[in-house]
Amino acid sequence: MKTGREQQPVQRAQDTNEVARRATGFGRLLVAVYGVFALSATARAGYQIATKFAEAPVAYVLSAFAAVVYILATITLAKSGIRSYWLSVAAVGIELLGVVAVGLISLLDPELLPQDTVWSGFGQGYGYVPLVLPVVGLWWLWRHRPAAGQKPSEDRP
Amino acid sequence: MIVDGFFIAGAVVTLLAAIICVVAAILKHGPNDITILSLAAVELFLLVYAVAGIIRQVSGEAVAGETWEFWGYLLTALLVPVAAFWWSITDRSRWSNLVLGAAAVTVFVMLVRMEQIWDGAIAA
Repeated sequence: MKTGREQQPVQRAQDTNEVARRATGFGRLLVAVYGVFALSATARAGYQIATKFAEAPVAYVLSAFAAVVYILATITLAKSGIRSYWLSVAAVGIELLGVVAVGLISLLDPELLPQDTVWSGFGQGYGYVPLVLPVVGLWWLWRHRPAAGQKPSEDRP
Repeated sequence: MIVDGFFIAGAVVTLLAAIICVVAAILKHGPNDITILSLAAVELFLLVYAVAGIIRQVSGEAVAGETWEFWGYLLTALLVPVAAFWWSITDRSRWSNLVLGAAAVTVFVMLVRMEQIWDGAIAA
């Protein structure tokens, strides 16, 4: 039972701290901005789906998807565990792919997505914040990356 | 859009709070009485705005846009300073002042939208 496992928790605590610190300092602001986007994207998607879903179902499903991504990113960026870390990498990565893909589609074929979503025109309607946010988010996550070899399974509290 | 007194008052309170919080962050201060009170002023404005909204509606003033949308915005806006306050006091770094400032800016944007709904201007 005592096969060197005692040493691990110390090392693990340090590693998790670096990951945990991503919700402090600048990370606080990042989470707050993500929170605002989660809120507004959810409200907007809810409004679109409740009042005029039939007009452009694809665009409004996309709105709802964006809202879910923002909610997931907000929660996982705020939580401290390693599992949350990788979930936030996934959420922010999907967000970056989404804003670039939807931006390109709205640029190349405006007819395909007739209604505005958060990501249309690379987030034009929101001052391009949706485009800048995932880049900043990934930079921040990279700075707070877990130590090499740290697996999600090591995150049991 | 029609600029009314509520909008002017709200814009002054929210933008002043945003400036105070951003300046405090630049000066490397953590959240303090001044920045927290500036956000409390935003919350107070929203409460007055809400009570005035109820009185205006009861006395028969019509909302140009969707009434439920106006109240949806207002109820959500009321939560923003509270959430920002809760999120900022648990980390007393200067970034937390930017969180408070971001909340003030968010309320300002929501106020613009609420005024558009109430007065019936072109939807954004």
